[in-house]
Amino acid sequence: MRTQATQPASFHQWKKAGLLVPGLLILGVASASAGDRLTQHFRVDPHPVVAIHNPSGTVTVRAWTKSEVMVVSDRSTPSVEVDASQTGNRVDILTRQVSDTAAPGDLRTDLEISVPQDAELEIHDDAGGVNVSDVLGDMNVETIAAGVDLEDAAGYLNVKTVDGSFQCVHCSGRIEVSSISGNFRFIDIHSPYVRAQTSTGNISFNGEFLPNATYRLKNYSGVIEVRFSPGDSFDLSASSIRGKVHNEARLDPPSHHHFLPRLGSALFGTLNSGRASVELSSFDGTINILKRD
Amino acid sequence: MSTIGCNEFLNQLGDWMEGERSAVARAHFRACSECRSLAADLEAIEKTAQSFALDDVKPSPRVWLAVRAQLEHEGLIHPDRQPVASRASAHWFDVIFAAVPRPVLAGAYLAALIAVAAALTGPGTGSARVNNARWLSRTEDATQPLSAQLDTAEQDTFSTLKNADPAVTASLQKNLAIVDNYIALCEKSVREDPQDEAARDYLYGAYQQKADLLAQMSDRGDDGQ
Repeated sequence: MRTQATQPASFHQWKKAGLLVPGLLILGVASASAGDRLTQHFRVDPHPVVAIHNPSGTVTVRAWTKSEVMVVSDRSTPSVEVDASQTGNRVDILTRQVSDTAAPGDLRTDLEISVPQDAELEIHDDAGGVNVSDVLGDMNVETIAAGVDLEDAAGYLNVKTVDGSFQCVHCSGRIEVSSISGNFRFIDIHSPYVRAQTSTGNISFNGEFLPNATYRLKNYSGVIEVRFSPGDSFDLSASSIRGKVHNEARLDPPSHHHFLPRLGSALFGTLNSGRASVELSSFDGTINILKRD
Repeated sequence: MSTIGCNEFLNQLGDWMEGERSAVARAHFRACSECRSLAADLEAIEKTAQSFALDDVKPSPRVWLAVRAQLEHEGLIHPDRQPVASRASAHWFDVIFAAVPRPVLAGAYLAALIAVAAALTGPGTGSARVNNARWLSRTEDATQPLSAQLDTAEQDTFSTLKNADPAVTASLQKNLAIVDNYIALCEKSVREDPQDEAARDYLYGAYQQKADLLAQMSDRGDDGQ
C-alpha cells in the first residue's frame, strides 16, 4: 500500500492572493490578510477513505478520474492550520486552531477536495456548508449549522445535521438523514431506501418509487410533501397525529381510513400494485401527497 | 332515534365486529358509506384470516417469535412495546394480524388495527380508565429517570461550551429549545391519551434527539477546550 504524498510539504504552493491587486489598496489589504491557499496531493489506491474535519467553512468535494486526492485549502487567517496526512489508503484532513486569541471568524477555512469517484467520505463541518458531487462511495456527513448538498451520489449516505438543510439531487444509494430544524429536499432520487427525520424542518420528496424500496419520511412539525405519478406503485401509510393529510393519489381501498389519530388524520392504501413502501408520519405537521406536475 | 357520528361508530367498531350491533350503530352503518366500506374491509380481512386459520395448523411459538423478530428488524414494531389491543377484541385482532401475508402490509394494517383497538378502549368505560392509568404509569416510569438524566447532562454540557464557537453554541441551544418544546408537547399528548402509541413513539424519539444533541454539544465543548 502506498502511503506517501506525491509532493513533500516543502512543495506546497502558498499564494498571497491579495498581492495580485496592488492597485486596489483596500481590497489588497483585505485579501492579503484573508487569503492563504495550500494545495496538497496524495496518491491513493481504489476505494480510498477521505476524512475531513473542518469546524468552520465550506467543504466542496468533487470526483475526478485521477487515482489521487487533491486538497486545496483556503484559510482566512494564520490562526488556523490545515493538516492533511495519509495513512495507508486513508487521507485525513484536519483544520485546527493554532492561536489561543483567535476570534471565531478567524477560524474559517474553505476546502476544495478532488477525490476518485469510488472514494468513501467522512465529513464533519459545523458551520459553513458541504457540497459533494459525483462521488459514488459511501458518505458519512455530520454538521451543526452547515447545509449539505449532494449531487449524483450513489453510495450509502448517512447525513446528520442540527439545523443545516439537506439536499440530494440524482442520488441513488441508500439514504439516511436526520436533523432537528433542517429542511430536506430529495430531487430526482432513484434510491432503494430513504429514511429522513427532522423535527421542525420540511421534507420534499420527488423521485422514483423503486420496487421493494422503502421511503420513510418523518417530522414533528413542518410540511412533508411527496410527489407521485399515476403510474407509480406503492403501499402508502400517512399519518399526522395533530395535523392534516392531503392526498391526490387514487388509493385502493379509497382513502377513508382516517381514524388513527383522534385530532389529526391518517390514511393507508395502495397505489397500483404496491411495489414500494411509503411511510409518512408527522406529529402536528401537514402531509401532502401530490401529483407530479 | 338518536344518531351517532363516524367517531362514535369507530368507538363501537370492536363490538360491531363481535356481532354486538346497537340500533344507533346500525343506523349510522346504513347512512355512512365510508364506515360501511371500512367495516366491510375488516370483515373481509377477518374472513380471509379465518380461512387461513382453518386451512393451516396453528404455528408454533417459534414461528411467532420469528415473525415478531422480522417485524422488529424492519422497524414495524418495537421490542419494548406492549400490544395495545384490548382483551375483548383480541381474538379477531390476532387472527387478522396472523393472516396478513406481507410484512409491510402487515405493518400498515397493524397500525390501523392498533388504532381501532385503541379507540375501543377510549374514554368512557371503567376499564379504559384503568388501562389509561396503567399506560400513563408505564410511560412515566420509563421517561422520568431518562428525563432526570438528561437534565443533569444538560447542566454539565453547558459548562463545557464556554470556549466553543458562539454561532455554533447558539445553534445548539436554539435546537435544544426546539427539542425540549417537542418533549413537552409529546408529554401533553401522552397524558391526554396514554394509549396513543404514535404519541409515545414521538415522545421517545424526542428524548433520543435530546440525548444525541447533548452528546454533540459535549463534543463541541471538548473541541473548544
